[in-house]
Amino acid sequence: MGKSIVTIGGGIAGIEASGILAELGYAVSVIEKEPDFGGKLKNWDHLFPNMRKAEEIEDYLSRKGKTPGITLFPNTTIASFENIKSGFVLKSNHGVSYSAHAVIVATGFEVFSAERKEEYGYKIYDNVITSADLEKRLKSGTPLTTLAGKTPQRIAFIHCVGSRDAKVGNTYCSKVCCVTGVKQAIEVNKLLPATQIFNFYMDLRMHGLEHEEIYKTAQEKHNIQFIRGRLSEVSENIDHSLLIKAEDTLSGRPLKMNVDLVVLLVGMEPGVGTTAIGKACNIEFNQYGYLKIPDVHLAGNLTSRKGIFVAGSCSCPMSVKDTIEHARSAAFEVHRYLIEN
Amino acid sequence: MGIVLDLLKQDVRFHEGLKACMNCGVCTAICPAAEFYDYDPRMLVSIVQSNDEEAIIELLKSDTIWYCGQCMSCKTRCPRNNCPGLVINVLRKISQELGYFTESVKGRQQILIKRNIGDTILKTGYCIHPSIVKPELHPEQGPVWEWVYNNPNDVYERMGGNFDKEGAGTLRKINNEVLGELKAIFEVTGGTLLFDKIEKFSAMKAREAGLEGTDGNIDKYIEKVNAEDKI
Repeated sequence: MGKSIVTIGGGIAGIEASGILAELGYAVSVIEKEPDFGGKLKNWDHLFPNMRKAEEIEDYLSRKGKTPGITLFPNTTIASFENIKSGFVLKSNHGVSYSAHAVIVATGFEVFSAERKEEYGYKIYDNVITSADLEKRLKSGTPLTTLAGKTPQRIAFIHCVGSRDAKVGNTYCSKVCCVTGVKQAIEVNKLLPATQIFNFYMDLRMHGLEHEEIYKTAQEKHNIQFIRGRLSEVSENIDHSLLIKAEDTLSGRPLKMNVDLVVLLVGMEPGVGTTAIGKACNIEFNQYGYLKIPDVHLAGNLTSRKGIFVAGSCSCPMSVKDTIEHARSAAFEVHRYLIEN
Repeated sequence: MGIVLDLLKQDVRFHEGLKACMNCGVCTAICPAAEFYDYDPRMLVSIVQSNDEEAIIELLKSDTIWYCGQCMSCKTRCPRNNCPGLVINVLRKISQELGYFTESVKGRQQILIKRNIGDTILKTGYCIHPSIVKPELHPEQGPVWEWVYNNPNDVYERMGGNFDKEGAGTLRKINNEVLGELKAIFEVTGGTLLFDKIEKFSAMKAREAGLEGTDGNIDKYIEKVNAEDKI
């Protein structure tokens, strides 16, 4: 067919959409700012809902990235973006020009910077970590201990950190953290059966067929205690254990508890790359800073500009599963567009 | 809609303080008063949010709305940018307006505050003037306070003050012109009216309890109000 596509972002969405389009015969250039492809997937250990190893999906994407017709450009960013009659010309930081009949933006998300929620003490107290940190530690296989090397007797998982919070400017739900928190709680219980685990939540958004089952299993088989209340603050005791404060809203009492480790379930934010590319391409953002789609039901992969498409979590928070599906529909939309134009 | 809900919705602080609450409890978690009293700002907001006039009137008659120390810590935490402390401000005002405050121990203390701080500011220009901090009422000031109280000129002069004298300086006498301005501010902003209502409803309560003097004074009532909250 001879038509070319540039995909910006070589994470799950970028690779999946590009792979499909390459299979359909298009020449696809994938621009990735990092030296590796696969995005944040390489930091995750097990994936909900079925606890499969994230590496399985990595392997799948790695094969997909080798589809004939795909060219991968690591360590590359887009320096300029220009409209021409047949489409677009993008120039990289290395001075290379790419012409494209269609562009897919697949720049992903950032993990919420938990330091911004200062009252939770991330990067202030040693034993406050994020869910992303925990995932890396679980993946590394090293024993889960406090910084002093002790097995934690009590761990608290804190839901909605950086999500549903006007104070940090993110009023939306990040969608993946509820189930991640319960998944990680189960994993920790399997590793440390004697450790008491508490999940502090506002609502447990266990949508879909499987997530509610994970919640039930966490209660039935893993003795995880769920406390409905948002944490007001974390402070450190002299022995580096942590004092946390919340209200147990179901019993209507303020609650203070000492724990050895606090895990902040950090939400998702629009990627730095998403903001930069969106501006360079002159496409619209929504009120949350993600790329704006023109119709939530019928045009989930379109942007405010013809010929520029969106795939994955640069349009809203998404799980790995949702990202792959969104990338596939992006490939379809691009294909339809290139046939029609 | 009843009168209480009407009054609530007329107050700008209500709209500022409560948009929509999701009952996360972070206000209660940060609230210093909730550590000492059987008090839960989240539940209070939840009642107000229910629009249940009867339940709100119960609040206005209760001790609950008087526990808040107005530190506004709740404002710093609420993920929906509400401020329970502001909602409580409005409830207190309505309780004073409608006289419900005389139905609770903490509420009845409005007359004490009005007659102390309220009257003192209009009389002296100071919320708290040294002359009202009577040693027998303030053991927390320690034994030295009685001496300070009885020798204000010596003490305040040594501290660089200008106690009760004309001119500039700390604790200076506030002149009549300024006091007149203060009084005018209270009248224009409704403060005086509120003070009158606190007096009126407290006098009614005193009468009801048979604690009104023959000349209409309510000293006995005030004594009782002072004594009934020793926790």
